[in-house]
Amino acid sequence: MKLSVRMVVVLTSIGLLSGSFLATVGHLTKERIALNKQREIEAAIIQVVPGTVSSQRLYEERDLSVYGGKDNEGNIIGFAIHASGIGFQDKISLMLGTNSSLERTNRLAILDQKETPGLGAKITDYEFFLTYWENRDCSVPLTLHKPAASSPEELSPTEVNTITGATISSEAVLSIVNGSLEQVRKLIQEGKLSSEAQDVN
Amino acid sequence: MTDNAFILQSSPHFRDKDSVPKIMYAVIASLVPAVAASLYFFRLKALALLLCCVAACLVTEALFLWLRRKPLHSLRDGSAVITGLLLAMTLPPSLSLELAIIGAVMAIAIGKQVFGGLGYNIFNPALVGRAFLQTAFPVAMTTWIPPVALKIQTATYATPLANLRFEDAIAKGTLTPLKDLFIGNVGGCLGETSSFALILGGLYLLSRRVIDWRIPLGILLSLTAFTGVFWLANPEKYASPLFHILAGGLLIGAFFMATDLITSPITPLGTWIYALGIGLVIGLIRLFGGFAEGVMYSILFMNAFVPLLNRYTRPRILGEGGKA
Amino acid sequence: MSTKTIGQEFIKGLWDENPVFRQLLGLCPTLAVTNAVINGFAMGMATTFVLIFSSLVVSSIKKLIPSQVRIASYIVIIASFVTVADRFLAAFFPPISKSLGPYVPLIVVNCIILGRQEAFSSKNTVGRSVTDALGMSAGFVLAMLVLSAIREILGAGTFFGYQVMGPWFKPWIIMILPPGAFITLGILLAIALQIERRTKSRK
Repeated sequence: MKLSVRMVVVLTSIGLLSGSFLATVGHLTKERIALNKQREIEAAIIQVVPGTVSSQRLYEERDLSVYGGKDNEGNIIGFAIHASGIGFQDKISLMLGTNSSLERTNRLAILDQKETPGLGAKITDYEFFLTYWENRDCSVPLTLHKPAASSPEELSPTEVNTITGATISSEAVLSIVNGSLEQVRKLIQEGKLSSEAQDVN
Repeated sequence: MTDNAFILQSSPHFRDKDSVPKIMYAVIASLVPAVAASLYFFRLKALALLLCCVAACLVTEALFLWLRRKPLHSLRDGSAVITGLLLAMTLPPSLSLELAIIGAVMAIAIGKQVFGGLGYNIFNPALVGRAFLQTAFPVAMTTWIPPVALKIQTATYATPLANLRFEDAIAKGTLTPLKDLFIGNVGGCLGETSSFALILGGLYLLSRRVIDWRIPLGILLSLTAFTGVFWLANPEKYASPLFHILAGGLLIGAFFMATDLITSPITPLGTWIYALGIGLVIGLIRLFGGFAEGVMYSILFMNAFVPLLNRYTRPRILGEGGKA
Repeated sequence: MSTKTIGQEFIKGLWDENPVFRQLLGLCPTLAVTNAVINGFAMGMATTFVLIFSSLVVSSIKKLIPSQVRIASYIVIIASFVTVADRFLAAFFPPISKSLGPYVPLIVVNCIILGRQEAFSSKNTVGRSVTDALGMSAGFVLAMLVLSAIREILGAGTFFGYQVMGPWFKPWIIMILPPGAFITLGILLAIALQIERRTKSRK
């Protein structure tokens, strides 16, 4: 065989073999990977909208997805807003639970972050940070309480706490939360998102 | 392959044995007012930190000299004492002693000895130690206590710069008065409280011609210009250049850290570029960076350029290259 | 062709030709994912899988590949196994896959793997190549474990997630950040060099 032909034949067959091999592997693992992602999101929804039995995706775009948490009868009891934005180091991805009228926060969960360990990374700490985000009045933009308060009672209903020494991370979380709430309100006004339960499919 | 296969050429290599201790002891003498001020404002805490840092630096230096089979008498050149003193001056008074010792060990070990000891280090050893501590223990390194002489008692006490950067001090009218900054009646690291004591020591060093006058002057000039522009444009948001000069670690950095003979350029033009660069980076960090204070990082940053500056600002030898 | 015994073929990867400490290869994952022992270990295992199977395939078809296109062929083979490793981790160990992030796909450009194919598998028998791959992988895993153990113990006070330091210990956060990786690797390389010098001068 001529060398050039041999080169083409060998490379093509290696490519074909590896392609079909990978197609098989991809097919075998695809469902499981999708399931893992879905489970992760569902676990977060149940965490931020307590009482959720099932959930439904209501809206999706880059850096913002809205899920509805439903009770036994299929009524939407709250929104789970999955949003992300830039923190001190890298992207912060979070899930905010609100009631169905978007006026009160239920809970906040940080899904992904790369803030400085020991400082900004405290945004994932429940006692230290996330507990201060429960039951806030979010009908107006939330504000940061500075300097940091030591118990939730010290805050007014529209305030959340700062992390001492990590103001930038706290501000980043705040701006993601306020920004996504505003966006969701706009979507509801424009009729692109509804708090009424919709039929699946 | 022999051990001397390549030699790392960096800043001035002092071969004149007599002059090193002389310079070093002048630097130690110039630190006396600032050390005295820190002892007055922070009492026993300051004393303990100073002693621990100096002792830990000396022990580490001795250990490395022994490991490298070098004569121990070069401990007497005083450079390890200065590193210890300067490191202690950049630490928060409330820092626990074991952390200060870790910082001192790192300053000598990875800041100086791994490069080959005195004369071969690229970065200011005291600042390397502080940078290590800052990254390793960010909470402990940003927890401040008010000076003993200050009558305010609060749980958390921000430095004047942190107050300005993160608490909107100008809008709230809580900006630290310049008079307090000058005397030193403010929170901060041991050696960054009293501007007066630092200026006294700095003037002594200048009068003895131990340090290059271009460095403090260049830093002050570029910081004044940079912060001045923003202050004139919007005094509601930005503090005055005088505030920036007196607050934080600027004066100790400009007089004692940036002027380190080993880690600063040797040519006059290189020195100007180095000093102006430090002032500019400090301004950038303080106004727009993620930290309230930027003296340490800006000096370390410009230290990295020193070999390059020495190389490209070398005066041309008569008759060498170029057009006539 | 190698003239070593099979045993020597394996042992050389552990120290004499340790990919990280002696050859300074594969430093990107060594620096990037050794912030916790579990990550370092998972990365070591993924690399082991890719290296062994790539060596197996390359050494068995070495005669078929024209030398002009050998690098392209090796890379396609390596990339296939890397993709398998990546999918496998994502499907069965999602938390590890998440914390390793882009570093699993980046095994493709890990010099240890391509280097072994070019330097060894393409010239030696299947048995020798797999033994060599096993030895090199063991050396790599060893380096990852040493580095990540030091960093996790000092940086978080834990080992494999278990608390090993007492409450008196204040974690050195720098150690689990990038500078800690460089400092630790630098010190380990200095120690490795020193040991090497000592043993050589004794011979």
